[in-house]
Amino acid sequence: MTDRLKVDKALKLIAKLSIDKSSQVLSKMIKSGARIDLENVCVVDITEATEKVIGQSDQEVVGAFIDLVGDAPFKFLFYVNVADSLVLTDLILKREIGMTKIFDVYAQSAVQEMGNILSSAISNVFSSDFQISMAPTPPTVINDYASTVFTEYIMSVAVDKNEILIIESVFNIVATNIGCRMFILPVGESEKILSYVASTM
Amino acid sequence: MDQTTVKKEIIVGMADLKVSKAPDIITTSLGSCIGVCLYSPTQKVGGILHLMMAYAGPAAQREGFKKAKFADTGIPELIHQLQAINSSGPKDYVAKIFGGGKILHGIVRNIGADNESAVRSILKDLGIRIVAARTGGGKGYRISLNLDTGKVSCRIFGAESEEF
Repeated sequence: MTDRLKVDKALKLIAKLSIDKSSQVLSKMIKSGARIDLENVCVVDITEATEKVIGQSDQEVVGAFIDLVGDAPFKFLFYVNVADSLVLTDLILKREIGMTKIFDVYAQSAVQEMGNILSSAISNVFSSDFQISMAPTPPTVINDYASTVFTEYIMSVAVDKNEILIIESVFNIVATNIGCRMFILPVGESEKILSYVASTM
Repeated sequence: MDQTTVKKEIIVGMADLKVSKAPDIITTSLGSCIGVCLYSPTQKVGGILHLMMAYAGPAAQREGFKKAKFADTGIPELIHQLQAINSSGPKDYVAKIFGGGKILHGIVRNIGADNESAVRSILKDLGIRIVAARTGGGKGYRISLNLDTGKVSCRIFGAESEEF
């Protein structure tokens, strides 16, 4: 098996474990089934990746940007469209769905909280399963076009490279059919760490 | 139907540029990146450059270098590609610039402002007039250049669409 294939295999495993952990934590918190599917683990050109998102409609979303800092730094992004963020707010605040009518400070906090929960679940997988010490930074929440949120996220790692390794997950909160997206991007020395993980497999 | 009259919408990704002729429309989305629209009113050709940073520096020597990522290499490349599809010289074009917002407020450096300043200086050196600009702020931009009219429709997130 080539090094690249080994790294991909390691990444898929990390992504899968992270997603399983995130699903469990989220389902427990909102008392509803959360199904998270791993959509993509691939190396993509920054132009191609962003062209695809820009080519879609002007979806209005709320995104939480988080840095996972430590032995293998990653950039994390969670985003959800604004209408779904209102439902998410009701779920997190444990109140009747439909009570949150506008995107306000509570809705912003709910997205922030989702970012915290998911990124912490991923950090825990790194620590417990791979002995890679990681911690999430406080989230930065942005309400903007999906294309702006995504390009700003890519921009943070694409300054000195044209291709990025991206892990993309799509998840649905079963009872309410909320669709969300979650991305993890390795930065800096992370690929070396992933190679090490791959060599142990 | 005559193939030359079919209007296409061409999408420009980050660190990329696209050129075309009327009646096509070229579209991109911007955050802290800058969109440089060049248009020749006489030839009805134009293009959009979606640049990420001001100056390439040593990056220009690296393998797989993307000229469109930087203002100092992307703007000349945009002109070069426009000249490949029509006979206008650099001074026949007018420029409109958009974007350069500060989207992530935690970041101290204002990349958008640095990019805008570089774009203005490079266009000035090339003798290309900037006839419209909508830059800065804290939200994303969606812009579309109509190659029939040279007008750019610009919608900043949360605001009404404007024409430039």
